[in-house]
Formats: sequence, C-alpha cells, structure tokens
Amino acid sequence: MLKEYDGRVRLVFKDFPLPSHDLAMAAHEAARCAGAQQRYWPYHDRLFKEQPRFQRDDLIDYAIDLGLDRARFTRCLDSHDEEPIVRASLAEGRALGVKSTPTFMVNGTPLVGAQPVEAFRQAIDEALQRAQKAPR
Amino acid sequence: MRVYTILLVSIVGFAIASAAPVRVTVEPTMVKGPATAPVTIVEFSDYQ
Repeated sequence: MLKEYDGRVRLVFKDFPLPSHDLAMAAHEAARCAGAQQRYWPYHDRLFKEQPRFQRDDLIDYAIDLGLDRARFTRCLDSHDEEPIVRASLAEGRALGVKSTPTFMVNGTPLVGAQPVEAFRQAIDEALQRAQKAPR
Repeated sequence: MRVYTILLVSIVGFAIASAAPVRVTVEPTMVKGPATAPVTIVEFSDYQ
C-alpha cells in the first residue's frame, strides 16, 4: 500500500495495547527495545506474525533471530523503561477517541477496524485530493 | 542513556470527537515514508 503511493503517504505507528490482552504490553515494549537497536520494523512485523506468542522467552528469541544484542535487549525488556511511553501512546489514542484496534486516521479521518484495501485507497485518494485543494 | 526525538506534528483533519486538528507525537523509528508526504496515516494498533 505504501509502495503504491510511493512518497505520498507515510505511516505513523502508535502503540495501543488493549488492557484485556495481558501479553500485549510486553510485546509493545519489546518492539521499542528492538527499535533502540535499529530493528523496529522487522521486529514489529515478526510480532504480528507470531501473535499471541509473547512470553518473555519468545520475545527474546525473536530478538536473537533478528540479530539483536541479546544482553542489551533483555536488559531493556526487563527494565520496563519503555512502559511509560507505551502508556502515553495509549492515553493519546484514547484522548482522540480510539476505542478499539486497529484504528487508523487518514489525515485525521478515522477508519476503524480491519478494513479492505479498497477502503484505504478511497480514504487516501480523498485525502490526496483535499491536500491538493488546500496546500499548506 | 537513550534519547528520544519526539516531533509534534499537526495533521490536517479532525479528531473523532472534536473539531480540533489531530495532533499526535511521532517517533521517527516508528514511521514509514517521508515526512513530506501529503497524507499521513496514523495507526493505533495492538500486537496481541
């Protein structure tokens, strides 16, 4: 999708770990720990592939598979230094009215739930048209 | 030890519940695509 709109669309990922998913917080922290070693997106993709296998040992295994420094990753994960910023992201989403995942905002216009590609295309095309009419 | 660079960006559009422009903090490591892109998709998601 991003390739299709090459250069015209950017994606900003925000952590929104639902409280009912008891392993989600650790997974979100782990992705950020991978990001600290420049492997945010590969780790992110791996988490979506493996869900919900997010026990501590699983999270460490994925890090090792991606070539991350195990000791550094484990230290980061166990420190929970990333937890406050994950919670801040969650709070930010709630303040914007996000109630379920995934929730997308295409230039601010919400698109809730797993939508077909066509719904994204339409929302992006409309946003592109509006952006052309009102350049900033 | 680690330093987060957090940019505050203004996204044209409207929040679900209000008429104010949506503002979210953006962390460069969690972004794909150029900052100059006319369209920004913000994804709030849960790994589990």
